Amino acid sequence: MILLYDGSFEGFLSLVYEVYYEKLQVSTIVKKMPGSLLFERFHEVFTDEAKARKVLEGITKQFTKEQQRTIFNIFLCDTREHEMALLEYLRIGFKNPKELRNINNAHLFYIQNLEKELLCLVHKMYGFTRFEELDDGTLYAKIETKFNIVPFLGDHFAKRLGKIPFIIHDVKRSLAFVKNDELREIRSIASFDAPTYSSDEEKFKALWKSFFKAAAVESRYNPKLQQNWVPLLYRTYMSEFHA
Amino acid sequence: MKLTIEDKLSLLAGSAKYDVSCSSSGSENNYKTGELGCTHNSGICHSFTSDGRCVSLLKVLLTNVCIYDCAYCINRVSNDTPRTAFTPRELAELTINFYKRNYIEGLFLSSGIIKNEDHTMSLLLQTLRILRHEYRFNGYIHVKLIPGASKELIEEATLLAHRVSSNIELPSSKSLALLAPDKTKEKLLSPLKHARDITMERSSKPISMSTQMIIGATSESDFEILKLSSSLYQKALLKRVYYSAYIAVNNHKHLPVPELSKPPLLREHRLYQADWLLRFYGFSYDEILSENQNLDIQFDPKTFWALSNLHLFPIDVNRAPQEILVRIPGIGIRGALKILQARRFKQLSFEDLVKLKISLKKARYFIIAGKDFHRSTSLYEEKIKLALIHQGSNIIQPTLFDTSIYTGEL
Ligand code: SF4
Repeated sequence: MILLYDGSFEGFLSLVYEVYYEKLQVSTIVKKMPGSLLFERFHEVFTDEAKARKVLEGITKQFTKEQQRTIFNIFLCDTREHEMALLEYLRIGFKNPKELRNINNAHLFYIQNLEKELLCLVHKMYGFTRFEELDDGTLYAKIETKFNIVPFLGDHFAKRLGKIPFIIHDVKRSLAFVKNDELREIRSIASFDAPTYSSDEEKFKALWKSFFKAAAVESRYNPKLQQNWVPLLYRTYMSEFHA
Repeated sequence: MKLTIEDKLSLLAGSAKYDVSCSSSGSENNYKTGELGCTHNSGICHSFTSDGRCVSLLKVLLTNVCIYDCAYCINRVSNDTPRTAFTPRELAELTINFYKRNYIEGLFLSSGIIKNEDHTMSLLLQTLRILRHEYRFNGYIHVKLIPGASKELIEEATLLAHRVSSNIELPSSKSLALLAPDKTKEKLLSPLKHARDITMERSSKPISMSTQMIIGATSESDFEILKLSSSLYQKALLKRVYYSAYIAVNNHKHLPVPELSKPPLLREHRLYQADWLLRFYGFSYDEILSENQNLDIQFDPKTFWALSNLHLFPIDVNRAPQEILVRIPGIGIRGALKILQARRFKQLSFEDLVKLKISLKKARYFIIAGKDFHRSTSLYEEKIKLALIHQGSNIIQPTLFDTSIYTGEL
């Protein structure tokens, strides 16, 4: 049976609830109605807070802190087929938590590697995220990433930037982490007007570029290695890579 | 002619780029609520230059004016190059603005010697004071100690910076006399000693310090170099020695001819690998090399050591303790830990090792795992050598696709 849900974490938890209590045999989980439905049965899950809460309670009871973090982390790997693996992870955990350490299980192995991939991306973006200063002093960063890592970046930069207000804008997902004196939250951003930048912004960008150029040692020139470390897909918002 | 801040930055970053001792990893996290900046203990790379090296710090000189005349240095007094200097305030503002935009993890500040040693050290400290006290900046700061600066100034530096260092540059007094006539080993080591002693008095741990040695400018063997590193580690003077392949920037009668000399990158790479064996795998320098020997070019130092000590192999991965496991070529600390953990549940076979993602490329010639033993090659040195070489590109392209230059793990 194909299950359709809205892609939210609550939605997924509601889905888990229905799979359990209605004993559904799931083959695929999708966020969008598929184009053709030939042979498969199809069921749409509606996000239901009460159901989600119940499943969440179960998770907090049955899984260790670290495993709970894994569940949440995997959920952020939203460009992969993470739902089936996660469903299996939960099934195993509710049945026999000890089994969760068995990497001979393909689902668990997949999850372990997926989580690694996510954390690796997070670490890279700690370095590759670039802020620009707006005219009111807010720092504004645009990102486009494979997985949804806004929560990680938000926490990281909240520690780092002290009292300075900032916005991290996930362009692909239309999400933003917003932090200022009054609030600290992730919200969805339907539209975003082009902001006005501080008068210093261009100057510091230019300075950064000259620093970047001056720091390279010509006799060790090795662009292949450079690209190995910073693949092109990360470079969109990194001014040092633009002419 | 008045230089713009951009010109200054180009010049002063350009002359600092040969210093490689600048990673920010390994410092403690020190986040304070509401203040600007904190360090991250695994180190964060913010970009990579066209030579493939990581940029994590604003690495600059305060000034490239210098009264010394070190032959290998682009800033030596006898060179006719444009000179300039940042004011401490300019430098502090640059750091803060770069940090805010997440271009950098912090500052790596060095300097030519302007007027005299203490005067220069005071200017460096002035920059640090503005950053720490005025801007309340908590991000990473590494400052070069000026050889010959007075004790009080060194003490203040240890209070303001996360890491201090002083470059030894050349591996022997003889070479220093030849190429850096204003420097002596004592003069270079004394700020490190001060810094160690002062910080040991304050707490049981000395401040984390590093140094750099230029490789290939003079005739010392790898044996001498590793011996020196090892004694510096033992005296708790240093946490890290960086090796920097000599890059010709000047003509000098005691230096290799620039046109003929390419930076010895592979040698540098091998030294990092050997250094890793010293720091983490419990090897001593005279196990790795004998008197006046250089590191093997074809094999990494651990494989070379194993090939010269075949009587210790094969090692049974189901029995050997950690300190022995890490001596197997191809098995690093992480691999050893995985093996220790996994074998609590069962006897490990070659297949299990593969599952644990342990690379058997080299290791298989040196281990027994359960009933498995790589019988196609008996433990006979020449045969293993051949087998290892025929695995394809055995001579590692230094730096290319090889992260062990940064980690050194073998
Ligand atoms: S003291 Fe430093 S800056 Fe001055 S010439 Fe020697 S190496 Fe260069």
